[in-house]
Amino acid sequence: MKIRKELWFGFSLMAIILVAVLIFTPWAGFIDGHLSRDDLGALGLLMLGLIVVAIMLGFPTAFTLMGMGVFFGWIAYRSVNPDLAVQQILDLMVQRAYSVMSNDVLIAIPLFVFMGYLVERANLIEKLFKSLHLSLARVPGALAVATIVTCAIFATATGIVGAVVTLMGLLALPAMLRAGYNIKLAAGAITAGGCLGILIPPSVLLIVYGATAGVSVVKLYAGAFFPGIMLAALYVGYVIIVAKWKPHFAPPLSESERQVPLPPLSQALSSRSGNALAGLFGGFGVPSLPKRQVATQLFVSLLPAISIVALLVLMYGAATSPTAAVDTSGLVQAGGAISAEEETPAESSGLQEPPSEQGGLQEPPQEGAALQEPPAELGQAAPAAASPSPPATASAEADTLPAAAAVERVPAPTWYWIVFGLGMAGLLLVNWLMSWQRLEIFKMLLASFFPLAIMIIAVLGSIVFGLATPTEAAAVGAFGGIVLAGAYRYVAARQAKSGNAVTRTISDLGGILKESSFLTAKTSAMVCWLFVGSSIFSAAFALLGGQELIERWVLSLGLTTLQFMLLSQFIIFILGWPLEWTEIIVIFMPIFIPLLPKFGVDPLFFGLLVALNLQTAFLSPPVAMAAFYLKGVSPKHVTLNQIFAGMLPFMAIQVLALALLYTFPGIGMWLPEVLYK
Amino acid sequence: MQTLLLTIDKISTFIGQAFSWLIVALTLMISWEVFSRYVLDDPHPWAFDVMIMMYGTLFMMAGAYTLSKAGHVRGDVLYGFFEPRTQATIDLILFVLFFMPGVFALTYAGYTFAAESWAIREHSNVTAEGPPIYPFKTILPLAGLGLLLQGLVEIIRCVICIKQGEWPSREHDVEEVDVDKLKEMVHVKDDDIAKLDQFVVQQQGGTK
Repeated sequence: MKIRKELWFGFSLMAIILVAVLIFTPWAGFIDGHLSRDDLGALGLLMLGLIVVAIMLGFPTAFTLMGMGVFFGWIAYRSVNPDLAVQQILDLMVQRAYSVMSNDVLIAIPLFVFMGYLVERANLIEKLFKSLHLSLARVPGALAVATIVTCAIFATATGIVGAVVTLMGLLALPAMLRAGYNIKLAAGAITAGGCLGILIPPSVLLIVYGATAGVSVVKLYAGAFFPGIMLAALYVGYVIIVAKWKPHFAPPLSESERQVPLPPLSQALSSRSGNALAGLFGGFGVPSLPKRQVATQLFVSLLPAISIVALLVLMYGAATSPTAAVDTSGLVQAGGAISAEEETPAESSGLQEPPSEQGGLQEPPQEGAALQEPPAELGQAAPAAASPSPPATASAEADTLPAAAAVERVPAPTWYWIVFGLGMAGLLLVNWLMSWQRLEIFKMLLASFFPLAIMIIAVLGSIVFGLATPTEAAAVGAFGGIVLAGAYRYVAARQAKSGNAVTRTISDLGGILKESSFLTAKTSAMVCWLFVGSSIFSAAFALLGGQELIERWVLSLGLTTLQFMLLSQFIIFILGWPLEWTEIIVIFMPIFIPLLPKFGVDPLFFGLLVALNLQTAFLSPPVAMAAFYLKGVSPKHVTLNQIFAGMLPFMAIQVLALALLYTFPGIGMWLPEVLYK
Repeated sequence: MQTLLLTIDKISTFIGQAFSWLIVALTLMISWEVFSRYVLDDPHPWAFDVMIMMYGTLFMMAGAYTLSKAGHVRGDVLYGFFEPRTQATIDLILFVLFFMPGVFALTYAGYTFAAESWAIREHSNVTAEGPPIYPFKTILPLAGLGLLLQGLVEIIRCVICIKQGEWPSREHDVEEVDVDKLKEMVHVKDDDIAKLDQFVVQQQGGTK
């Protein structure tokens, strides 16, 4: 019965569009062969209506777009010059296709997709989930929280919703059901978490949007980072609140489930001291124990300490390096001076501003400056010298500084010592808390969580800080994926102890590479051919002047910016029901983007909203793909309705996140503005 | 008939899979280029062109392969609810109406496009003395030809389906979400899932 209803709904929708098409088609123009400009514009809109019908019928979208684009483009050309029309449309078509083939933004897609397939096949999700849920055992709703965190990390690295949801359905759902979790909560956490990879960079969606809208992918990545984290944090917050509020929905883990079996070495030493570090140091004195193993364990347990110390040393180097510090202070003061001059307020505010700005930029503030000169004096000196040009201020400033300070290392500023103190306190705390149990959990995290996290951060960091282009970072990330897959397979092969571990790893890795390349080829062909089709289609749409007509119509509505944003996001949300995100972006974004400047909306900001919005499309019943993937691997008494019900609160959170991002654009725009202005 | 269809499927698949190895080459090449530029301080001016060519060739040549595995994205709102016969009828009409003219136009236009490039032995102008670009432009009509051939196969498939009432089989290929493989990967068996049912039933009994 339900199926029938949906069919009826779809058919009636199509019928409405078709009737509208028949009524508005400029038949008269067709018959006498003369189409006016308005007729053509109307034809453009008809084309848009027809494409929606054709897509709903279920034909591969790329080719529908291509065929329709050629046909309507030909009509547009024919109305101008019938003799040249065929040649013109063929030229247009091949130019458009070639521009997709040689697109230097889209090239990152196959590389990121490849990286995703490799990481997925590296087979580390099991360890990742286990280590995370053990380390989060004390948090209320530990399993659900661990599920979301695992999903967030794994989905970010792979970006394949179906695979992440299926895998988590196989791993996390049984664990949660056994622990007595509410089915809806469990299903919601898995499906919502699995979709996070759409938003959190490096995501393919943002590349596709960037290529369509002509927005820098780098800025999109920088912008989507915090909204993605925010969404994940909201999910986690929701789960924790539910677990606190209704403990029977997410009962805490029993003591026995939190325990990790200790290896023999740790067991032997644990009787001597509760603290792993002290125990291991003591372990050297025990003759019966192999020294090498004790040393390895000690090294592992000291890793957090080592990394904290290394980080502090690096930061000390950066904070006190002479040239950098002087340069920045000069520039900052120049900036402060300019703002002081522009405002031309009372002398006192001019005096106070420069130091406060320095504090905001975190570089050499109070203490360092105070050692050389009082900040108030700097502020006074700067406006005086600023009048010629800012660089002159910088050099003048450098002169006023004690010559010794410019050559020697600048004393570390206060913020550094605060960070240093915090780091040391953290270090002590970590080592004090490092029990044998925690050491085991830490080792598990080291083998699963950290490699993936470091890889993601390296890829993202190098893109966002401008060290590498997205393409380069994607390629290196894919290479990292190969290494990761190889390393995990090697460990697995050694544990399996059947045959030679090295040869087995190589043959495994070959299989992984083969499968991943084939899948990558199919996925990239799917996305990029869609691009070929849509670029021909949107060229025809522009030729017909459909874009102009829409613009005129939208402007005639006299919407405010807020109304326009609400309307556009609502349309995208609705489109997310019948269409896939790729189709929405490549077909409909070219229509929305030209409207944005009219309403003073930044295309970058709009892109972030769209990315967040399209996440909900994966979770909105009845076509939420995530739900079907989960249903495919859950016990038979878990119904689709239960899964849908579980997804609803998470969908509400997404809408909340959308509202938050719109109200506080800084969540997304702060990082790109700081980095690229 | 079925063997002919499967043979053409196999050809498309073979070509697509052969070219899909380019992604490994692309990964290695860019990784090496990054290493060479930042560490060895020895950038190669041709790297950008080669990168683009590998990417373009990869996805263009995989088009027919993807079509043969029904991998091109399609709106699945209503399609999944149709009978196979209805599906095939719609597909048949749209293949003839949109696919064939569109792809034929692309192939034909691509042919002249490539021929012009061959005639002047065109080189890339991204960098000075860029690599020759005419082989790359040849990919366009070649990929179109592959798609046309595979499109014909799909049309025949539709006709068979309309006659027989069910879709003729396709060759198996790696799938993005292969549930059985994923189950094996994380060591979960069907029995384990079935056993979980008791928890579900228990919970549902408790809440009712």
